[in-house]
Parts: sequence; C-alpha cells; structure tokens
Amino acid sequence: MTNYFALLGLPEALSLDPEVVETSWREKSRALADSSSGSEAPLDHPDLNQARSTLADPALRLAHWLALRAPDSPADRSIDPSLMDLFSAISPVLEKTDKLLASHRRATTALTKAMLTREAIDVQLQIQELLQRIQPLRSSLTGQFDDLEKAGGEDDFQPATRALGQLKFLKRWEEQCRERLLSLIAC
Amino acid sequence: MNEELIIGIDLGTTNSLVGVVDSGFPLVLADREGGRLTPSCVSWATSGEPLVGKEAFRSRMISPERTVSSIKRFIGRTFSDLTAQEREDAGFPLVAGRYDEILVAIDPETLATPEEISALILARLKKIAEEALEMPVSRAVITVPAYFNNTQREATKRAAGLAGLTVERIINEPTAAALAYGLDKLEESATVAVYDLGGGTFDLSILQMHDGFFEVISTAGDTRLGGDDLDRVIARHFAATLALGELSPGEEATLLARAREVKEALSIEESVTARFPFFRGSASFELELSRPALEKLLTPVIERTRPIARRAFAEAASKGVAEVERLILVGGSTRIPLVREKLQEWFGLVPDISQHPDESIALGAAIQAGMLCGRVRQIILVDVTPLSLGIETFGGLMNVIIPRNSTIPVKAGELFTNAVDHQESMAIRVLQGERELAKDNWLLGEVTVPFTPGPKGSARVGVQFAIGLDGILEVLARDTVTGEDHVLEIRNAAIDVDDEAVERMVSESIDCAFDDMNERIWTEAKLKSEELLPAVGEALALVGHLVPADDLAGIEAATARVRSALESESHDSTALKSANAALDEATQTLAAILVEAAFSGLDS
Repeated sequence: MTNYFALLGLPEALSLDPEVVETSWREKSRALADSSSGSEAPLDHPDLNQARSTLADPALRLAHWLALRAPDSPADRSIDPSLMDLFSAISPVLEKTDKLLASHRRATTALTKAMLTREAIDVQLQIQELLQRIQPLRSSLTGQFDDLEKAGGEDDFQPATRALGQLKFLKRWEEQCRERLLSLIAC
Repeated sequence: MNEELIIGIDLGTTNSLVGVVDSGFPLVLADREGGRLTPSCVSWATSGEPLVGKEAFRSRMISPERTVSSIKRFIGRTFSDLTAQEREDAGFPLVAGRYDEILVAIDPETLATPEEISALILARLKKIAEEALEMPVSRAVITVPAYFNNTQREATKRAAGLAGLTVERIINEPTAAALAYGLDKLEESATVAVYDLGGGTFDLSILQMHDGFFEVISTAGDTRLGGDDLDRVIARHFAATLALGELSPGEEATLLARAREVKEALSIEESVTARFPFFRGSASFELELSRPALEKLLTPVIERTRPIARRAFAEAASKGVAEVERLILVGGSTRIPLVREKLQEWFGLVPDISQHPDESIALGAAIQAGMLCGRVRQIILVDVTPLSLGIETFGGLMNVIIPRNSTIPVKAGELFTNAVDHQESMAIRVLQGERELAKDNWLLGEVTVPFTPGPKGSARVGVQFAIGLDGILEVLARDTVTGEDHVLEIRNAAIDVDDEAVERMVSESIDCAFDDMNERIWTEAKLKSEELLPAVGEALALVGHLVPADDLAGIEAATARVRSALESESHDSTALKSANAALDEATQTLAAILVEAAFSGLDS
C-alpha cells in the first residue's frame, strides 16, 4: 500500500493541518509537472490526488493511518450510545426528503413544482439542524486524535478503531444529509 | 513538417471552431472565406457527398428533414433514453439501431450515427486548420460539456478517430474558458465561476486560480439546456400567436430560424418584427415582438440554470470555497441581456463579459493543446469528474466508488471474491450518476471479473476504477493470488441478436419513425394534463385570493381549453399539447405566488 503521508512528505500524524496537506500537494504537483514538461501528461498521477483527498479528511486519514500501523485490526461497526439519538433522528428525515424529491422529479410544470416548495423548505431546515448536531460529535472525536496516537505508540489500536467506526458513521450521515440538501436546492 | 502540432477544437451544438497556439498566443483559425464559426450542420440535401458547415446550414430551409443540426444532443446516448418530445424536436427522423444506439434516418438507405455526423464536422475543422496552417494536422484537443458522462466522452473521442484525428485530451468547456480567461492573469489569485450557456448545453464550474494552478472545485450542468431551447420557446409562441395549427417540417424550420434571428436581434434592439413571407402558399404573416415580451418567454428556460448554478456554488462552499469573486460568461446565449440581469440578481456579482462568447472555449482548447506540445508552460490544470461513479450492488442500489467532483486523475479499488464454489466470473454493472437506485443512473456497461476456480471465498480480485485526465473510465482487474493485471472491457449491456433479426428490427423501427407519432405524443400530453389540472385546483384553494383577477380569468380559460382538448374523440395531440402549454404559461404567476407564500410562511 502507498503511504500517503510519505508521498506528500508529511509526518505520519493524525492531527494534520489541511493547509499543510494542500501546500505539499501543490508543491509535488508542480514538481511533477516540471519534470514532465512538454510531454504527454503533465499531471497524470492519481496517487498524488488520492493522497490529498485522503489526508485532508479526518475519517479517511485515520483509516489510512490505522491501515499503515495496524493493518489487521478488526473494524468496529457498533454505534456508540452518544450517536444513537442522532441515528434515530436522521432516517425519518431522509425518508421524507426522498419522497419529496421523487414527487418533484415527477412534476413537469412550474405549478406542480411550486406546490412542493413549502415542504421542501421544512425538510431543508430539518436537515440543517441534523448537520449542526453532527458537527460537535465529530469535533469531539477528532479532538481525541492525539490520545489515539499515544495509545497507538503503545500498540493499543482499539481506541483508534473505535473512533474510526464512529467517524465513519458521522461521515456517511453528513454525506447523506448534504446530498439531500443539494437536491433540495433544485426544488 | 511540424508533427508535434496539436489543434484545439470546440465541437459545439450550434457552431464549431478550431484554434491553435502561435508564438505563445491562442488564436481561432478562419476558413477560406474568413469565417471562424463553422455551423455544426450536415446535410444530405443533394445527391452525393453530404454538405457540411455553412453549405449545410443554408440548405436547412430547403430540405429540413435531410439536414442535421444540434447532433451533439444525441451523441453517446441510447435511443430508449430519448423522450418522444426530444425525438419530435430533433427535426429529423431518429431510429433505434442494433444496440439501442441512435441512428439518424435521412431516408431508409441513408442511416448515420451521431458519431459519424460529428466526425464529418470534425473532418471539416481539420481541413480548415490544415488549409490555414498549410500543414497536415492529426492531433487534437477537443472540448466537451463538463457534465458529459463517460459514454458521451468516449463517443466524442471515437468521432474524432473517424475524422482522422488522434485525441490528445478531452477537456471540459468551462475549464477551457477559464484557461482563456486566466492566461494573461497567471500571477493573480482568484476564485471564479464560469457560466457557460451554449447552443445546447449548460455548465457551471467554479475554479480557483492561484500561482498558475487552475483548479476546478465543483461543476454542475445540464446537457440538454441551451439556446436551442430558447429558440423553440419563441417558435412555439409564433405558432400559437399566428394560430398556425399543424406545421410541416419546412414551416417548423422556418419558424425556428426566425426565432433565432429575433432572439439575436432583441439582444440589441428593443423591438423587432418577424416576417414570414409566403409562409403557407401565398399567405404571409408578420408579428412584432418587444424585448419585455421576449423576456417573459425566455424566463422559465433561463430560470432552469439557477438551481444548477446554486448546486455548484453550494458544493464549492462545502469544500471550503465559499466566496466567488468573478462570474465569467461564455457561450452564445450569454449575449442575451436577460441572462446577465438574472445572474446579477441571483448571485450579486456583475457578470464579467470580457471573454468572446463564441470563441473563448476554442481558445482554451488551443491553450490546452499548446500545453501538451510544450508551447505553453507554467500552467497546471486540475479538473474534476462531474458525476459519481459506482457499481450496482445486490438489491439494485448504487454503491459510489468515486464521488463526483473528485480531482482527476483518480482511482479507487474494490475487492471481489467468489460467492460460491468454483464460480468462474462475476458481472459488475458500472454506473454513473447521483441517484440511489441503480436503475435511475446511467449504465456505462458491464465488466466481467474473472476468478481462479476454487472454493467459495478463495478467489480475490482487486478491481480498480480509474478516471483519467479525459474524464474517461478504465477498469483494471488484479488477481491478488496470481498478481496478474489486465484491463476489463466495459461492454454495452445490449444482448447479441442475429443479423437477420437486427435488420428486421432496424427496418421496423424506421417504418415507425416515419409513421405518425400522434398516439405516443397524446399519451405524454395527457399525463401532463392530469398532472396540471388537480394542481391548479389545489393551488387556487391555497393562494387564489392573492392572484390578480386578470390572471385568474386566464387560468380559468386555459383550464377549460385543456378539459375540452382532453375530451376530443380524435385524440388531437397538437391541440392538447398547446392547451397544456397555455395552461402552464397561464399558471406561472400562480406558481410564483405559491413559492413566495411558502418562503414568507417562515416568518409567521
């Protein structure tokens, strides 16, 4: 497996400033372009792009770090009690949104679309509320990164695996919420 | 002579151009008569070789059914994907081919695919370049709408191959425009949005320009929205106002041509008169249209760009790019004053009209070509893939493997294993799109993952999905047991049928194409009536008291017309369609009031 930290010349740290990732990616891209100047592909380096998108995202970064350090640690797929409330709040809103979006897709006239506006605004607000609940939960997990690193130094990867499981849930929910919000913009 | 030279081509819906970088500057090449725009038209009006470009464009009124324009709307699509409306709007007969591909049926003996027709246009551009540069040319950069999917990009590439051009790079139109915009501003840092409304497609891309980097942050679009749609709305207005009833193909072509002229003239004048001399036999018509009246017609079409643009803005914001400093307009349709006004109203930015609406994409293609052959340096272009890529999972869902707006080139892997003992292979359906259900997305094709036979779970094949700089997908399989790597072919999902059956199918569908499509159109129109009528009742119950009396009377009259058209024994689809359109138009104000009420309801 490619070590993305090494590829971008960065320390194998869980807490990374996204700006640092960005700067390093730019420098490497520029160097790559200069070295192949005039040839066919100035920036044909998917690994470099992959490294950037992985390291810029806390959940993906933690997953990559774990894969490098403890490739055999089993995944933790349990939902922490602190996430349970959010979990039960999200699915009904997503379901409601999907029904609304389906009606909107069937509507072919300005009038039938307009009939859905009221409900669209309501669910947008509900989704935004959910997104606001995700934010602090994620921050509290990324706030543990230094501790996870320390534990990892003592060969204890269980806390990191656990945090990754929770971060993955939050990431997926956030993506689902954002996706619905984007679709609702068209309503 | 100079084997290294690469040309840049803008293969547009209405017009195409070719450019090159000379002494560090991009320029558009002119044909022998000095014209820089080549109409994207092909005509089989006369016997022998088809006419291409200007000659074809001129013959569109004489033989509209044998003249093909806006073929870009059909490239890389399947026949079953087309709506009856799209087939009708095409202006030339379309039939289904063997693999559900679209065939243009000029007559039962003359069938051509959209790729072949595009190839004729590309060959003309190649010739223009060769004459202007006085040297043979065989390599090109071609632009495509940013929102083109994998299949549409591949089809464009194949069309170039047919025209004797090797495609060195496919680049996205708004990205090309950004290159043209930024070439002389390399030392500046800016976040820009490129609003590209062309003849047939719309894209909005948000880019960050910094230190020679041109990085696309997000992109959104509609590959079936452009100047053609504006022309059609105006032509329909002509037909309705003049009460022309059923139109012959020639009459329709005339209306569309006048519509386009009126649209262009009203970008400058305040009022124009459209004249239709000897339109029907000896009958002549004329009709005056003011700019405000035109704008009322165009508004619903232009409004369609708004949610798309907002989507791109929202997506850029979620990637941390919240502030867009400049809004650059390109594409012929951005000449319309209403477009500029609306944009300023929506986004609070004074549109930047420094770019030539018709030429900037070709210039950008030329710059990218110059970058590839070493004529332009210092620029690093970083683009994204417009659509999510995924595979169909058990249960018909789409599992996203590469999310949209990922920086390209990009690759992602998935591991597959045999689900039963001695399974030899597994078929994976590859999809592109944003919907959760697999069937709602584009099916790019199927790949077969081979397994080394063995007990269940023993085979391990890593499949890598890689999207290259052209935005085109390549699928590689690596057997982790044997370590072997190979490219998997993405096959069209169509079933192989024997040749005789194919010929029969093709000829049957040709017969149907020349048949009356009335019943199909009737059914589609009826569905629309059934959608609108109850909505009118509900909407009036909610906000009827807020609607001006004039509008109410208009709605009532239009509703009655739809009802009576629905009851007609003869299933007159033209009458029902126009009644629907009238009701749709009559309820625009009502719709706007509803939306407003929904928003103001928030305060209460």
